[in-house]
Amino acid sequence: MDGQSEAQLGDKLRNGDPDAIAAAYDLYGRIAYSLFVRITRDHSAAEDLVQELFLRLWNRRREFDAARGAIGPWLLSIARNMAIDYLRSAQTRFQSRLRPIDQTDTLHFSYKPNDPEHLMDAVKAVQAALADLKPNQRKVLELAYFEGCSQSEIAVRLKEPLGTVKSWMRAALERVRAAVKGEAKP
Amino acid sequence: MTHPEMNELYELYVLGALEPELASEIDSHLADGCEYCGERLREATLAAAAMSSMAEQVEPPKHLRDRVLASVRPRKQSSSPRKQLNPWLYAVPGLAAACVLLLAYSLWSRNTAQSLRDRIAVLTQERDQLRSAVEVLSRSDTRMVQFGNNNAPHGRVFLSPNGGVVFAGSQLPQIASDKTFQLWLIPAAGAPRSAGIFQANAAGEFVNVVPGPVNLTDIHAVAVSVEPRQGSPAPTTTPILVVSIG
Repeated sequence: MDGQSEAQLGDKLRNGDPDAIAAAYDLYGRIAYSLFVRITRDHSAAEDLVQELFLRLWNRRREFDAARGAIGPWLLSIARNMAIDYLRSAQTRFQSRLRPIDQTDTLHFSYKPNDPEHLMDAVKAVQAALADLKPNQRKVLELAYFEGCSQSEIAVRLKEPLGTVKSWMRAALERVRAAVKGEAKP
Repeated sequence: MTHPEMNELYELYVLGALEPELASEIDSHLADGCEYCGERLREATLAAAAMSSMAEQVEPPKHLRDRVLASVRPRKQSSSPRKQLNPWLYAVPGLAAACVLLLAYSLWSRNTAQSLRDRIAVLTQERDQLRSAVEVLSRSDTRMVQFGNNNAPHGRVFLSPNGGVVFAGSQLPQIASDKTFQLWLIPAAGAPRSAGIFQANAAGEFVNVVPGPVNLTDIHAVAVSVEPRQGSPAPTTTPILVVSIG
């Protein structure tokens, strides 16, 4: 979907057209479900979370600014936070470290639909970049993304020095960053 | 921290994987409205969203789409075909009765669960709105304008360029159920900009929260008009309330 049709989807959503949810689900339902399954390891919980995710999108539709918004990055940011919250709801220390959902919303609303770094292009580029990562680089990225671990926690989990973990993380993120920007990274 | 130092941290910041003291430092810097870092933050958010591709792609069950759509169309009948009754149900009355009871219990449970989910969604929305309101009210750049008197619509407008707008008060008139109130930001020149639609309760009390950065540099008034339920791209009626914020 290009920027223009993302904007149309946003318009429909803001106008309260339930077909917008169908379109959003067709675009992002699979990737969101996959994310929930990966983080929760529970297909039943993943279904509940997908439903809650799109219900949340529907309930907050009036805040959506179609002229500036892109739904995908917002939806996946919320999905990740929801899944990790689900996993760690009893661990309040973690909740206080996750970025509040409101802030994520605000970030989302400042996207411009004509940005070349559209989400699905970025997903493909990042997929390609991830394939080239060394196993330890990918591991630290997965622990941060899927489990919300800080670099210190990753160092403890992997029994590696913090400096080593930071170095792996930096290298991994450089590749991801370059991929999203469409820059080739040797 | 310098910009080059922060530059390498935004993805971790967005993922919540940054150490708290570094995250606080970035929070403070972003609160100052640094445009460069705002752009980096947007890039990092996109990168973080794209990292979801690390998850192995799994096809969701076919019924999930219907379930999601049903949750936003609660009154629409499900399109899934009715299950065929097992012939044994006719042959064994006792079993049939048990099945009917089980089915009734299942439906009751499902309706109760759905009702709870809907309630949770409403509460989540209210919580999010409250968070946004607190965010606006607690910012140092927020200014407040009071309007009206006790015999007419009255209340307060809180405006923060970085936090958003909170518009709260009471004694708005009752309107038809197919109408809504819509808040407008009125610039010195140019067309009014919508700042959301909202409803008042039976006592005419209302709160409308518009989160996120708002361009207030050329805004000299806010206004409320009555619009069709889904809101309008531009006012279609004469405003019932205009508050100068000059």
